[in-house]
Amino acid sequence: MKLPVWLHWVFALSALACAGLFGYALLCDAQRPAQFQQRLVPELAVVDRCELCHEAPKHPKWLEDSHPPERFGCTPCHGGQGYATSKDAAHWASSDWERPLRTPAEQAAACGRCHLGIQPPVPQVAKGRQLLASKGCASCHAIPGVPRPDFAPELSGLRDAVSPDFVRTWLTDPGKLLPSHRMPTFRLQSQQIEALLAFLWSVPGPALAPLPSDLSGDGERGKKAVAARRCATCHRIDGRGGEVGPDLALAGMKLQPAWIYTLLLDTHRLRPHTQMPGFQLDRQEAMDIATYAGEDWLADSGVAPWKQREAPVQPALAEQGKKLFGELGCAGCHRLGGPLGEPIAPALDRLGDRLVVDLPKTSTGTSQPDVPSWVALKLQVPTAFDQKGAMPSRMPTMPGLAPADALAIGTALASLRAQPLPAGYLRNHDPPERRLPAGETGRLIDRFRCLVCHTVGGHGGEVAKVALDGAGSRLNRAWIESFLQSPVTVRMNQAERMPVLGITGAQAQQLAAWLQGSQGDDRVPLAQAPTPTADLLQRGAALYAKAGCPTCHVAAGSGTMQGPTLDGCAVRLQVGYVQTLLTMPELVPAARHTGVQLSPGDAAAVAAYVLGLPAAPSP
Amino acid sequence: MLNWLKSIWNSLWRVGWPRDERASVKAMLSSLLLHLHPPKIRPESLKFRATWAAGLVSLVLALQLTVTGIYLMFYYIPHPDAAWRSMKDLAFVVPLGTLTRNAHRWAAHAMVAIVTVHMLRVYMASGYKGSRQANWVAGVALWFLTLALSFTGYLLPWDQLAYWAVTVGSNMAAAVPLVGDHFRQLILGDRSVGESALLRFYVLHCVALPAILFLIVGFHLFRVRKDGGLVVSEHAPGGGRGDEGHKLVPAWPHLVYRELIVTLVVTATLLALALWLQAPLEAEADPSRTPNPAKAPWYFLGVQELAHYSAFWGGVFVPAATLLGLALLPYLDTHAEGVGRYLPKERRIAQALFAALLLFMAVTTVVGTLFRGPAWALMWWPK
Repeated sequence: MKLPVWLHWVFALSALACAGLFGYALLCDAQRPAQFQQRLVPELAVVDRCELCHEAPKHPKWLEDSHPPERFGCTPCHGGQGYATSKDAAHWASSDWERPLRTPAEQAAACGRCHLGIQPPVPQVAKGRQLLASKGCASCHAIPGVPRPDFAPELSGLRDAVSPDFVRTWLTDPGKLLPSHRMPTFRLQSQQIEALLAFLWSVPGPALAPLPSDLSGDGERGKKAVAARRCATCHRIDGRGGEVGPDLALAGMKLQPAWIYTLLLDTHRLRPHTQMPGFQLDRQEAMDIATYAGEDWLADSGVAPWKQREAPVQPALAEQGKKLFGELGCAGCHRLGGPLGEPIAPALDRLGDRLVVDLPKTSTGTSQPDVPSWVALKLQVPTAFDQKGAMPSRMPTMPGLAPADALAIGTALASLRAQPLPAGYLRNHDPPERRLPAGETGRLIDRFRCLVCHTVGGHGGEVAKVALDGAGSRLNRAWIESFLQSPVTVRMNQAERMPVLGITGAQAQQLAAWLQGSQGDDRVPLAQAPTPTADLLQRGAALYAKAGCPTCHVAAGSGTMQGPTLDGCAVRLQVGYVQTLLTMPELVPAARHTGVQLSPGDAAAVAAYVLGLPAAPSP
Repeated sequence: MLNWLKSIWNSLWRVGWPRDERASVKAMLSSLLLHLHPPKIRPESLKFRATWAAGLVSLVLALQLTVTGIYLMFYYIPHPDAAWRSMKDLAFVVPLGTLTRNAHRWAAHAMVAIVTVHMLRVYMASGYKGSRQANWVAGVALWFLTLALSFTGYLLPWDQLAYWAVTVGSNMAAAVPLVGDHFRQLILGDRSVGESALLRFYVLHCVALPAILFLIVGFHLFRVRKDGGLVVSEHAPGGGRGDEGHKLVPAWPHLVYRELIVTLVVTATLLALALWLQAPLEAEADPSRTPNPAKAPWYFLGVQELAHYSAFWGGVFVPAATLLGLALLPYLDTHAEGVGRYLPKERRIAQALFAALLLFMAVTTVVGTLFRGPAWALMWWPK
């Protein structure tokens, strides 16, 4: 038996096919670059072959210096596939590579991976992180690096403070009552509002001090007291004032007088976590202010003023409200006589790891270009990604969130990834940890809520332009003590803002000792005033005029009131401080001394002249 | 000089190129590679329908997997920090790296399928009866080893696909009652897929399992030869006794040449597949990012589909019972009727049982592969 001929044909064809296909494979393979140009950064697991095609990067000099490619590679910032040796594979997503080149927002987020803290030098990320903190996002979501907010009012004892009608209006449309409110909108139905109301009405708060029967309040006196205590530094009154505390236009309408009276006398018992300092008032003054509030602080909002009436509590409804209170995460912002509740929403600690294709699509199937945009849309339309048949999103709508703000928040969130980077690459832009003195001094600083307005070591509020850092080297102790007891302005053209807290002499001594003892400035020496010879004073006066000091300061009856008045300033300022500021304008940036820099000799002369100025006679 | 070289060449062969039938028989008996063949063979056994060439294709694929696998081993680093990156280097830097990897991948998938087809054909022809009982068991072992090799190799690229497929697979192993957790611990060296699992899978895939596989392949081929080649029907000329009263042809060249051709066709097909079908490589394995759904390799998706209904019954009992049933089959079904024919009337029950099992496997695998979406929910439009 012989082999059939077709078998030979099959043999020949398949042998030819093998050879041909293998040859073709070799031919294709010859297109691989013969020589490799790659950047290796082992710490970041970077293998970047971008420079096979691209020239070396042309970054601006500052970027070149701070982020040399040898240390950072290309893809950690730009994205794309560094391993690739072909154009498409390097730049675009494929089934083998899900992360294409980064969009601008993703690039900013990539900066935020190393630049940690609330104030990184990346505007988008910094803005986003500040918004994350100020909008209270961390009350529902655990977000690394973002503190849990504590600015919402305590809700225990709500029935003692406000009327049910107020709560109903507030939960329906808070903007109607307070345009600058921070409460997000939860899309509640009226039945849910009634349930929440019933629950809140069942939670008792600290007992109120009864309005004294032996005193009668005087609205006129109360109005004067509010002005004298400078409440407007934090509260808006008649449309003017600060925004640290709530607008007082609402106070008289919503609050029961006994509650206001108790708050004024015993602030921190009623509201342990408030930003409001504990004013040291007497009962009469508190009574006057409570009376004034009831007469005058009635905004035209259509809500009935507070009346002594209780919403009847139905236990079943209250139980329902309690459940709702938990489900909506109300306890993340509002205390109920205890600590804040745990975050109820998903942790956002690795949003940067997510691929936008893996995130839910909108109901119309539109996809977002990147994770920051996805977050932005979610923030603006929380229900945008609700799936048919699934539970609708419980996420509330944030008030006053511009599209750019939403994108900034998305960018900040996209900077969070699970994989930690090597410590050598991380930069923390947060101020160092806040340390307040222990003991009575610390209690006083807390009682008067100094850090709501002033900063110390980068922490605290910026209502006051004066940072307390270095104050101990700038100001005389005796002056600090008297200022704390009766604060007078040193800048004549500005409204007096430091609240009159009623600090006693002993308390003022304690606080002044703290400022002097621990808030010094290493750059300022303790100097003695030089003997004021006539020659020195004359030279000082001449230099004072020549350096242009009268442009801002008033001295000896002439000058403008841009800066603090200098007549009699020796009472206030330390000699070493004046001398140093004149030689070193950057000492106190807020002093706006830039451009005035004298030699030590000249500075001594000007300081001698200025500190020798007598106090102006009181008008 | 030429004569000297010629003498070296001739020293390799015990007999020269066979010129006649007698010489070809001698050649078959005297060569290491060829002596696994019978010197003469029934012409019917040469027909495609007699074997579907499935056993030979399986062997060719196994050899090609060995060759490509060794090349991949030159570049592959079995450590979580480096494994995925070495895949990237294979894709972009190593000469013929992509081709080799693609070929290895597709040959592995094909081998799972072809070995199954081989087993199916032998079942249909009752090739597991009489003296062939033990060889069927060896075949079942080889089928299992093929799956094990494919599964261990699946992890090595250390991408999301690999990581989660093996996580799903090892979780199914953990559903074994009582010893499940220990069993998984044994496979993974840990409670989850990680560094030690990668090393274990690597050693199993590249050393232990291939060694066992080729040992059993040797036994398997030896027994085919000793048990008289293909099973022959009693209706065939010669009364089913194979080599008596019937004209046989020499295995050289009739069998050997055909084997060579099959090898070439398989090679060409594999090259074509490797050139135009890219083996997937997803993002680097990330234990914190679970794909939804996480799916096992396709040949385990039937089991995963069953495990979705019950981890023990679907994920453990049914596969174990199937494997045990297959292994015991030659000792349970010893009827001699219908041997050597594909669809004999005498074996309707066996055929029905087998068809049912096959259909069941096919349906569950297809459903698991194509019609299961996120959270293992049914989806009617395959993605």
